[in-house]
Amino acid sequence: MTEIALATGFLLILIGLYGALTNRNLLRMIVAFSVANTGVNLVLVGVGYLRGRAAPILDATLPAAEAPARIIDPLPQALVLTAIVIGVGTTALMLAYAYRLYLTRGTLDISRLRELKW
Amino acid sequence: MVDAILLIAIPLGTAFLLGLLPGHWRGAAYALTLAALAVGSAISAAWLLEFAAGADPREIHTAGAPPPFAIALRIALAESAGLLLVSLSALFAALYLRDTLLKQGRRAMAVLLIFAMALSGLILTRDLFNLFVFLELTVIATGGLVLLSSDPRALGAGFKYLIAAQLISILLLTGLIFIYHAGATLNIDELAAISLERLPGGTLAFFLVFIAVVAELKLFPANGWALDIYESAHPAFSALVSAAAGTAALFALDKLLAGGTAWLPVATAIGCVSFIGANLFALAQDNDRRLLGYSSVAQLGLLVVVVGQRDLLGEAYLFVAGGILLAHALAKAGLFWLSGLIEGRDLTAWAALRRRPLLLFAFASFIALLIGLPPFPGFYAKWELAHRLAAGGHIALLALILFGALLEAGYLLRWFGHAVKGTPPEQGPARAPQKMVAVHAALAGGWAAGYLWGELSGLGNLLHALPLLFALAFLPLDWLPARVKNSLAIAGMLGWFLHAYPGYDPLQLIFAAVILPGGALILLASYQNGGRRIGFYPSAMLMFAGLIMLIEANDSFGFFAAWESLTIGSYFLILRGRRSQAHALSYIVFSLGGAFLILAGFTLAAQGQTQLPLSALGDAPTALAPWVFLLLAVGFMTKTAAIGLHIWLPGAHAEAETDVSPMVSGILLKAGLYGLFVLLTQMGSQQLHGIDLTHAMLWIGALSALLGNLMAIFQEDAKRLLAYSSIGQMGYALFGLALMNHLGWLMALMFVINHFIYKSMLFLSVGGIAKRTGTRDMYRMGGLITLMPLSFIAVLIGIIAISGVPPLSGFGGRWIFYNAIMEGPHRLPLVILFLAGPIAFLYLFRLIHTIFLGQLKDEHRRVREAPFWIILPQMIQVALLLGFALVPGLALRHVDAYIGGLVPGGGLDWEGLTITSAFGYWSPVTIMLIVGVIFASLFAWLLLVNRRAQRVGQFNIVFAAERPYRPETTHFAWNFFAPYRKALGFFTQPLATRFWAALTDLLHAGAGLLRRHYSGDGQTYVIHLLAFVVGVYLLRMGL
Repeated sequence: MTEIALATGFLLILIGLYGALTNRNLLRMIVAFSVANTGVNLVLVGVGYLRGRAAPILDATLPAAEAPARIIDPLPQALVLTAIVIGVGTTALMLAYAYRLYLTRGTLDISRLRELKW
Repeated sequence: MVDAILLIAIPLGTAFLLGLLPGHWRGAAYALTLAALAVGSAISAAWLLEFAAGADPREIHTAGAPPPFAIALRIALAESAGLLLVSLSALFAALYLRDTLLKQGRRAMAVLLIFAMALSGLILTRDLFNLFVFLELTVIATGGLVLLSSDPRALGAGFKYLIAAQLISILLLTGLIFIYHAGATLNIDELAAISLERLPGGTLAFFLVFIAVVAELKLFPANGWALDIYESAHPAFSALVSAAAGTAALFALDKLLAGGTAWLPVATAIGCVSFIGANLFALAQDNDRRLLGYSSVAQLGLLVVVVGQRDLLGEAYLFVAGGILLAHALAKAGLFWLSGLIEGRDLTAWAALRRRPLLLFAFASFIALLIGLPPFPGFYAKWELAHRLAAGGHIALLALILFGALLEAGYLLRWFGHAVKGTPPEQGPARAPQKMVAVHAALAGGWAAGYLWGELSGLGNLLHALPLLFALAFLPLDWLPARVKNSLAIAGMLGWFLHAYPGYDPLQLIFAAVILPGGALILLASYQNGGRRIGFYPSAMLMFAGLIMLIEANDSFGFFAAWESLTIGSYFLILRGRRSQAHALSYIVFSLGGAFLILAGFTLAAQGQTQLPLSALGDAPTALAPWVFLLLAVGFMTKTAAIGLHIWLPGAHAEAETDVSPMVSGILLKAGLYGLFVLLTQMGSQQLHGIDLTHAMLWIGALSALLGNLMAIFQEDAKRLLAYSSIGQMGYALFGLALMNHLGWLMALMFVINHFIYKSMLFLSVGGIAKRTGTRDMYRMGGLITLMPLSFIAVLIGIIAISGVPPLSGFGGRWIFYNAIMEGPHRLPLVILFLAGPIAFLYLFRLIHTIFLGQLKDEHRRVREAPFWIILPQMIQVALLLGFALVPGLALRHVDAYIGGLVPGGGLDWEGLTITSAFGYWSPVTIMLIVGVIFASLFAWLLLVNRRAQRVGQFNIVFAAERPYRPETTHFAWNFFAPYRKALGFFTQPLATRFWAALTDLLHAGAGLLRRHYSGDGQTYVIHLLAFVVGVYLLRMGL
C-alpha cells in the first residue's frame, strides 16, 4: 500500500515536471506544477503512514499512555496540511502573475518572456 | 530582554493589522510599517549588544514545549547581527520605497513586512520544516514585491522566479520527509547529533535539502531567474534580495551544514565556481543592475566557500564570514539604492554622480567595500581567510579566490572609471531626501564596520593610523581652496618627517626623505592650481600615507595594508588625468594583481601567523621559501614596471596631471624598490628548480633597461618618452639590487635618489612646457630655448644627470655601478646593460634638441616661461642635483655603512672629498671643476666665433604654398630615429602589450559567449537547475 502511494507520488512529480518543461503555456505549466505538488504531498503522506495504527486522536479507547505504540505519527500529516496551504498560496500567486502577464503582454507563451537575458 | 520571537510576531501582527485599516489610511499604514520595522531593528540591536557583551545563546521554545514537540528557535551573536541586518535593510527599503508604497497602499506594505518576517524566521529557526515554511513565505513575498517595479519586464522575471521556486520547494519537501523518515526528528540540532549519512537514504535526503537551500542562494550557474529579478525589480527590493535575503539564506545553509560536515567540500566547490563564474560573466555587462546581480552571486559564492571552510577557519569563522557578509550587504544595498537615483541603466550613465561629490564618495566607498580594500571589513576578513587557507594547505583555492577577486576589481573599477571620467548629463541624480538617507546610512555603516573589524582583528586598526587619518581628514576639508589644502598637506608631510626621522635606519631614511620632503617639494607645483581641486588632496595624501606607512611597517599586515592604501590613492590620482580612464584601469588591475601576489607570498611565508614580522620572512619553510620569494618579487616588480609587467606605466604616467606625473614616477615607483630591498635583505638568494632567482632578476633588470630605453627613443610624446625612460631606469635599479653585493645595492639606492630628482624635475618641465604650448608632441615644438630658458636649464641639467656623463650625480651612479659589476660574476646581462646606456642618450638628446633648439613654431611665438610654481621646484631640484653631485657622501656614507651589514662585498671609502673603491677613485669636486672649465672655455670660444656669424631671420626662406596632408611627416623631428627603428624596431614590438590584450580579450569574449547560456527562457532555467542538482549529486557521489 505504502509502496503504491510512494510510486504514484513520484510518478506524479515526474509527470508534473515533464508537463512544466514541455508546455509553453503559462496556465498549463501552473497546472503541471500543481500535479507535481500533489505528488509531493502524496509522498509525504505515504512516508508517514504506519500500517495497522490508529488515527492520532486521544479518547477513551486510546489512553495517552498507550498512544505512542498505537497511533500514526501525526507530524507528516501536519506537514502535508501546511504544504497544501503553501501550495495553494503559490499557485494563486502564479495564476495572478499569468493574468497580469496576459493583460500587459497579450500572451501566455513563456518563450516570449525573454527580453531579460545574459 | 525582550523575547526574540517578537521579531516574527510583530511584523506578522502588523501585517494583519494593516489589513484591518481602512484602505485610504495610507499615511497611517505607512507609519505603522515603519514603526514595526524600527521596533524589530531595536530588538535585534538590543540582543546584539547583549551577546557582544558575552551573553550565552538563547533557545526559544515555541508553544512552551521542547523539540521535537514544538519548533525551537535560537538567537546568539551571529543570529542577532543577521537579524539586525535584515530589519535595518527592510526599514531603509521601506523609507526608500516611500512613494511607491504610499501609491500601492497597505497591501504592498504588508507584503514587505512578511518578507522581513520570513527572513528573520529563516535566521532564527532550528527546525527544518519551519525553514521550509519561511523559505516559501520568502518566495511568495518576493513574488509580490517584484511587482513594485515600474519596469514591465519585472512581470516575466517574477514568473520565472516562481517556476524555479516550485522546483526548489519540491526538492526541499521530498528531502524533508525522508530526513524525518530516517532520523525521526526535524530539529536541526538533533539531526546534527545523529549522523544522517549512516542511516539508509539519509545521504540522498540530506542532499535534496542541501541543494534546495543552495539553489535559494541563487548561485551560479543555475540562477538565470535571479539575475532577471536583480535587473528588473525596484532597486530597493533588489537591495533587499541581495543584502537581506542573501544573508538569511546563508544562515540557513550554515545551520543545515551543522549536521553535514561531509558536504563542506561540496559547498566550497560550488561557492568557488560561483565566485569565479559570476565575476567572469560580469565582465561583459553594461547594465548596472544586472552587473550588481552578478556581483551579488559572486559574493554569495565567496561566502559559501567560507562556510565550506568552516572547520579550517575555526574560531575565526564568524570574523571572516561576518566581515565579508557585512561588506557585501552594505555595499550592495548602497549601490542598488544609488542606482535608483541614476536615470540611465548603462554603466556610463553613472557619470551623473560627478555633479554630487558626496554621492561619488559613497560610490567609491561601496566599490572599495566590495573589493575588500582597506580600511573596510572585507580587507581584514580576506587577510585572515587567506592566511588560514595557506596554512591549511589550500593553495589552489586561495589562488582561485584571488583570481576571482581580481576579475571583480576589474569590472567594478572600470565602472568607477566611467562614473568619474564620463560626461555628466545636464541633470544630476534625482534629489529625494528619503533615498539619500538610505544611501548615507549604508555609507556610514560601511565605515563603522571598517572601524569595528579593525578593532576586532587584533592586527591594529587602520583607522587609528595617523597618516591615514591625516589623508581622510582632507575629505571633510575638501570645500577649502586648493592652495590652503596644499599648505596643509605640505605642513603635514614635513611635520611627520621631522617627528619620525630620528627613528629611521639609514635605508628607511633615504626612502622617507624621497617620500615626504620630496613629495612636499613636488607639491609646490600644485600651488599652480587654483579653485578647489575636489578629490585631489584626499587621493594624494592617501598615497603618501600609504608610502610612509610602508616604510615604517614592521610586519606583513602593516606592510600589505600600506601597500594597498598607496595603490588606491595613486589610482585615484592617476584617474584624474584628462584621458587617463583606460590607463588608470590598467594600472589598478596590474597593481592589484601584484598586491594579490604579495598577499599570497606573505600567507605562504606566515603559515597561519597573521602578523608576520618582516624580519621573520627568512624563516619561511625551506620548501616554500623560493615560492614566497617568487611571489613577492613578481608582486614588487609589478610596481617597478619590470619588462613584461610594464604596459600600464606609459599611459598612466603620461596621461596624469602635470604635478601628478612627477609624484607617481619620481616617488611611487620607489615603493616597489623598497619592497625588493626588504625582500632581498630578509630572504637573500633563493633557488627554484636549480635557477637562482636573483640571477633571473638580473636578467629582467637588464632587459627592462634595454627595452625601456629602446621604446623611449621612438616616442613622439614627451611625457610618454619620460615614462618609458622610467622603465629603463627601474631596470638599472633592479639590476643593481639583483647583483646582491654591496656596491650594487649602493647603486640602487643612488638610483632611488637620482631618479626621484631628475625624473620629477623633467616631468615638471615637460608638463610646464605642455601647459604653455598646448601639446606634448615634441615635433610640434621647437626653438623654445629663448622663450623658456629656465625650463631649458632644468631639462639640460636633468638629461646630463640621467645620461650618466660627468659631472652630475648620474655619473656617480654609473661609477658605483661599474665597480659593482666588476665585483659581480655576470657578464652577458652586463653587456646588455652597457648597450642600454647610449640608447638612453638618444632619447635624451631628442628631448633637448627637438623641444628647445631648431625653429620656433609660429603659434608659439607668444609663449611665456612656464608658471612660477612649476618652475620653482625645478630650480630647487637643479640645486639639489648639483649639490648631490658635489657631495654624494652626505647622503650615501651612512647608507654605505648600513648596507655593509646586509650584503657581502666591500664598500667605498669616503675619505675627504674623494671616494675610493677597490678599482679606482672618484673625486666629484675635481670632476666638476674640470668639466666646468672645459665647458666655460668652449662656451667662450663659441661666443667669440658667433660674433662673426650672420643672423638669419626665421622667415628668410621661401615656403611652398601647399599644405601637406600629414604635416608632421615633413618635420625633421618627427620619427626622429627612423633608421634605428628599421634596425632595432623588432625589439620594441609590443609583445607584452599584445599578450595582456589577448588575455583580457579572451576573458571578455569568453564571458560574452558563455553568458548566453542565460537564454532568458524560464523553462531553460528550470533545466539548468535540474542539471545542476544532478551534476552536483553525481560529482559528490563520484568523489
